[in-house]
Amino acid sequence: MAYIEIKDATKWYPHKSGKLRDIFRKDKSFVKAVDGVNLSMDRGEILGVIGESGCGKSTLGRMLTRLEDPTKGDVLVDGVSTAELIKKDPLKFRRTVQIVFQNPFDTFTPRDTIQKILLRPLKHHKIGSSKEERLEIIKKALEAGGLVPAEDIMQRYPHELSGGQLQRISIIRAMFLNPSFIIADEPVSMLDVSVRADIINMLIDLARNHDASVVFISHDIALTRYISDHVAVMYLGKVVEYGTADEVINNPKHPYTKALISNCASIDPFEELATIAIEGEPPTPINPGPGCYFAPRCSMACEECLKKYPERYEVSPGHYACCDRIES
Amino acid sequence: MKAVLSKCLRAFKADGQLRFGVIGVIVLLLVIILAPILAPHDPYSYEFVRLLPPGSEDHFLGTNHMGQDVYSMLIFGVGTSLKVALISALISGALGVLIGGLGGFLGGWVDQVVSEIINIFLMIPTFFLILLIISLFGNSIANVMIVIGITTWPGNAKLMRAQALSLRERTFVRSAVALGETKTQILFKYILPNGIFPVVANTTRSMAGAILTEASLSFLGLGDPNIISWGQMIYQGKSYITSAWWISAFSGIAVILTVIVFYMLGDGLNHVLNPKYNYGRSK
Ligand SMILES: Nc1ncnc2c1ncn2[C@@H]1O[C@H](COP(=O)(O)OP(=O)(O)OP(=O)(O)O)[C@@H](O)[C@H]1O
Ligand code: SF4
Ligand SMILES: [Mg+2]
Repeated sequence: MAYIEIKDATKWYPHKSGKLRDIFRKDKSFVKAVDGVNLSMDRGEILGVIGESGCGKSTLGRMLTRLEDPTKGDVLVDGVSTAELIKKDPLKFRRTVQIVFQNPFDTFTPRDTIQKILLRPLKHHKIGSSKEERLEIIKKALEAGGLVPAEDIMQRYPHELSGGQLQRISIIRAMFLNPSFIIADEPVSMLDVSVRADIINMLIDLARNHDASVVFISHDIALTRYISDHVAVMYLGKVVEYGTADEVINNPKHPYTKALISNCASIDPFEELATIAIEGEPPTPINPGPGCYFAPRCSMACEECLKKYPERYEVSPGHYACCDRIES
Repeated sequence: MKAVLSKCLRAFKADGQLRFGVIGVIVLLLVIILAPILAPHDPYSYEFVRLLPPGSEDHFLGTNHMGQDVYSMLIFGVGTSLKVALISALISGALGVLIGGLGGFLGGWVDQVVSEIINIFLMIPTFFLILLIISLFGNSIANVMIVIGITTWPGNAKLMRAQALSLRERTFVRSAVALGETKTQILFKYILPNGIFPVVANTTRSMAGAILTEASLSFLGLGDPNIISWGQMIYQGKSYITSAWWISAFSGIAVILTVIVFYMLGDGLNHVLNPKYNYGRSK
């Protein structure tokens, strides 16, 4: 059985039009930010999640970390439901599942020094038995992460460090808890191109040498292909294509993935991010459907597509796409 | 601790308004402590010669209609003003921070209830509520302070609620949740310390408002008649404004100066307590 199993993960937000009649309406409308996502991962695997802005990548990440509860569905870690895990032993759940956020400049409270910030989770999770021991752990970890001189960094405030340094500290802090499931939500999109490689390598190291499952959320197709073993392509809260990174990027089957990839000029992962642009209305996940969500923008759409949401097809072993009109 | 001290010192040197405010408050405190030495007369002693003009021998700011020494009364009035300012600000600040912070941080129905209460209080015309309560419960100085405190907290609560609402969406709060910190820990470690600075500044500025309110109440004859306060002096001097202007004028100036001191202090704090403030260092 797979180590991580995402089962029908769904998050609907009530949609408020801001009008008084909202209160009286029975047929509430919803923002279907994430709508029935099924995925699985092995230990040591990196899964890339790509898609346009607003397709629900961050919402999925927040559900996986239980920063938000799913409307429906569950996530299993090693066969155990995270809903139960967090109820039974919240601290243990936090040690198992960690997240690295997009904005390193906002990841730490501006009032404390790095030393204070890093001491907190160690104390909270009873890692190290004395303050001296904990300081030693912090110093070693910072040095191993290339943050030298560690003593100097520890005395600094977050705003006195660069984005690259802060993001490395963020990963180091997550690693203190020795997690086996890590969500990285666009961890390099706010960083200078020159420091992205460091962060990417730390994440790869986490998967390969610490046997952790890593979800890598990104806009950047080239980078996602470089780092990921598998790739899931999301569109309006649903996974429309899934497979190994090479298969999905080199041989995309879903019209949406094709459009995404044709728009991405470069495949050098450390070049400036190529923006995704597809013709047609930008999508909104407010009560989408019926029919294929992509139909309004799809060049191959036909009448059938507007009637019901397409099935999932296995186009080749391990490569799935949700489209009724795939030419084989 | 040493780092905090040196930071305070640097902020003090860099920010003019803060410096003015701090020095002003220190001067006011010294006046309170040294009042018996500074005041040449007992402000409660009534002399036979009344309405002496300023510059008279022995009464250099003159005397009032009861023959009390205006200068000595001013000196003893400092204590009243500061006491009113401090205690009412503490009541208003504590209520505002706790209620607003809880509402904004917890959200949901708690926040809805809190917002409604804040709105109701904001809609009530504060000064009339104060008048009403004073006339119902009597005009002792304690009542005046309490009533100012409980009528001004909604401003602080609104500020704190807005802070908490935006702070709880901040990445460092989310990452604290992801690291397993509890709601209470997050409220006291991240929400309150990062959100309190506009409230502290606002509270300090509203001390100026409290001094004015007390003066206004006294001016309407609703102050505590048993203590010496500047508002009381203005009120008493009102009837003599054409013949003995000095009674109202000097106490009026004292009110204005004290209000400015607290206003400056509040503004200075507002600059300095901002975490991005760089203590006069150029970037
Ligand atoms: N708390 C919320 N309440 C209501 N709607 C929300 C909420 N959070 C997210 N949404 C909506 O859900 C959808 C998905 O948002 P999400 O942030 O997950 O997208 P994303 O793929 O991460 O986008 P980006 O690439 O811009 O980060 C968006 O339409 C967003 O407006
Ligand atoms: S199902 Fe139809 S509309 Fe949807 S992607 Fe396939 S061809 Fe396009
Ligand atoms: Mg996002």
